[in-house]
Amino acid sequence: MTGIVWATGLVKRYDRTLAVAGLDLDIAEGEIFGLVGPNGAGKTTTLKILATLLVPDSGDAEIAGASVRRNPNDVRRVLGFMPDSFGVYDDMKVWEYLDFFARCYGISAERRRRMIGDLLELVDLGPRRDTYVAGLSRGMQQRLCLAHALVHDPAVLLLDEPASGLDPRARVELRELLRELRSLGKTILVSSHILPELEELCTSVAIIDRGQVLVHGRVADIERRLRVGAVFRVRILGEGEAHEAARAWFADQPDVVTADLLEDGQVEIGFHGDDDGSSRLLATAVGAGLRVATFSRAASDLEELFLQVTAPDPVTTGVPA
Amino acid sequence: MTALARPRRLGALRDIGTGIAAVGVKELRGRMRGRRAFVVLTVHLLLIAGFAWMIEGLAERTYSSGFGGSISASAEIGRTMFTALLMLLTLIVLVLAPASTAGAISLEREKQTLDLLITTPISSLAIVLGKLVSALSWVFLLLLASIPVTALVFTFGGVGPEDMVKGYVVLVGTAFFYGALGLFVSALVKRTQAATVINLVAAIALTAGTTFLFVFWFAMTGFGGVNPDQVKRDAGPLQSLTQRPPEALMWFNPFVAQLDVICGTETGFGGTCSIISGVTSQGAIGDQQFGVPRDSYWPRSLAAMGAVSVLLIVLSVQLVSPTRRWRFHLPRPRRRPAGSDA
Repeated sequence: MTGIVWATGLVKRYDRTLAVAGLDLDIAEGEIFGLVGPNGAGKTTTLKILATLLVPDSGDAEIAGASVRRNPNDVRRVLGFMPDSFGVYDDMKVWEYLDFFARCYGISAERRRRMIGDLLELVDLGPRRDTYVAGLSRGMQQRLCLAHALVHDPAVLLLDEPASGLDPRARVELRELLRELRSLGKTILVSSHILPELEELCTSVAIIDRGQVLVHGRVADIERRLRVGAVFRVRILGEGEAHEAARAWFADQPDVVTADLLEDGQVEIGFHGDDDGSSRLLATAVGAGLRVATFSRAASDLEELFLQVTAPDPVTTGVPA
Repeated sequence: MTALARPRRLGALRDIGTGIAAVGVKELRGRMRGRRAFVVLTVHLLLIAGFAWMIEGLAERTYSSGFGGSISASAEIGRTMFTALLMLLTLIVLVLAPASTAGAISLEREKQTLDLLITTPISSLAIVLGKLVSALSWVFLLLLASIPVTALVFTFGGVGPEDMVKGYVVLVGTAFFYGALGLFVSALVKRTQAATVINLVAAIALTAGTTFLFVFWFAMTGFGGVNPDQVKRDAGPLQSLTQRPPEALMWFNPFVAQLDVICGTETGFGGTCSIISGVTSQGAIGDQQFGVPRDSYWPRSLAAMGAVSVLLIVLSVQLVSPTRRWRFHLPRPRRRPAGSDA
């Protein structure tokens, strides 16, 4: 056990459904840790166990040294939680909402006043201080909910699908906010379906399925460990014959597993090499006279990892060391 | 208790106090915001003042007329007004107390805010007590506002300050019990609408229902009849009911407790005292027994309400707590919890 968030052998059943099946986690302090998995993988249940909302059937988890089983109240003091589907007290004003949660943590009136102002500035809701919560947009409510999780300056933040239902601008703002929180020393555990965003944001990820961690670590390390390939799309200038010639050329290259001609004339390449290999492939293609207009990844690294790891016959399964 | 245990217990008590204050302030902010609270308070006062004025008019006409007139007419008017006002206030408490707690927990579930509340360090006990205190504060405010109107009976006489205190003690106990009942139902069922309906049915069952059952049982056992043997023969399968109905059947009916309070203001026999004597095994309904003990029933009724209220609060805490030891819930179709991805 080394990390600030640690779990071992977590098991949780709902009636006959096994939601979490012996899940292990170890998250170092100061990380933004992404929890990735398909629907029903056990992400929300895991986060609820860590947030002391559910008691695991077996196993235990600790946050900042406090056990979710034995000392749930100590866990709550070091933890900020933002659930997936959260509600707000819509008959309260923005400052009253934060004031209420600050009171729940026994924060003095003087500190509350100061902290509410600071938090509203942090989540960019300063001008909305006296607005009723019901009058805020979804993105603003999301930021307010994040602010509520910060009233007691917790060491660890658990965010369940924080970007769901947000428009692109609100997502970018949320991402910036999380980066800022990391720079303030917070450890953030975030679950999401939006993999490119997690990839850009997270220092480490865990891919979970059927209640178990299939793989976890830094995205680049996992890629290296699993030797996961990439899918590239190449747009070649010219007409049909040029496209077919390019496809045949790519199919003959080393490390290229598949080469298909798409309806729009692009060539899709399944490539089983690293970044150096893809760079060499591009240089060789240009050197061979192919008129390459664009050469780009078809999907993000994390998406490819996710698809490969959660496939019916994945490259690897089991909890890595 | 060791020296170390004392600060820890004090700390736990302080945490509960902090939680109750936090939840209470939030709830009261919501209840007292805007004009709604003041409009309700004004309507409430106008209602009971108008009712008192009408009862006073009726009583004055009855007791001051030729046949009904007496030298103690003023005291009779005072007692009649007191009786009517206590009964009206009991009815108001009976409706308002469970109604104001019916959504206390279920609304948090419906709005999906309960998880946010539970992940703070405030205990489930503080959440439940905070909700109860804030809901009852509103009911107590209405009761407090009614005191000057009720005190008008002193200008007529027949009722002493101690009678009014007893009446209000029963009202406060009733509010506490029916508030705790409403809170328990709110913690038990998922929907506020269902909780409100169940609370209404429970209030009717515990008042009108128990009264009907008591009278029926009383009649079937032959205690209330002119010819008990004949009644027993006619009772058919109910002949096995040989014991009179227990007094405890009526303990949760605050109207009966108020009748005992009113009995304390009466000088003669009959009236409310005869009903109380029937309930407390001192004699049959309709009998006019001498020596009916005053103020014996309502303290027992209040104690029973208090004890059950504490039990209901403990059960509510268990239902709210995510780490509860006992699990019991209403039968429902099996499904995954809403909002869960697994």
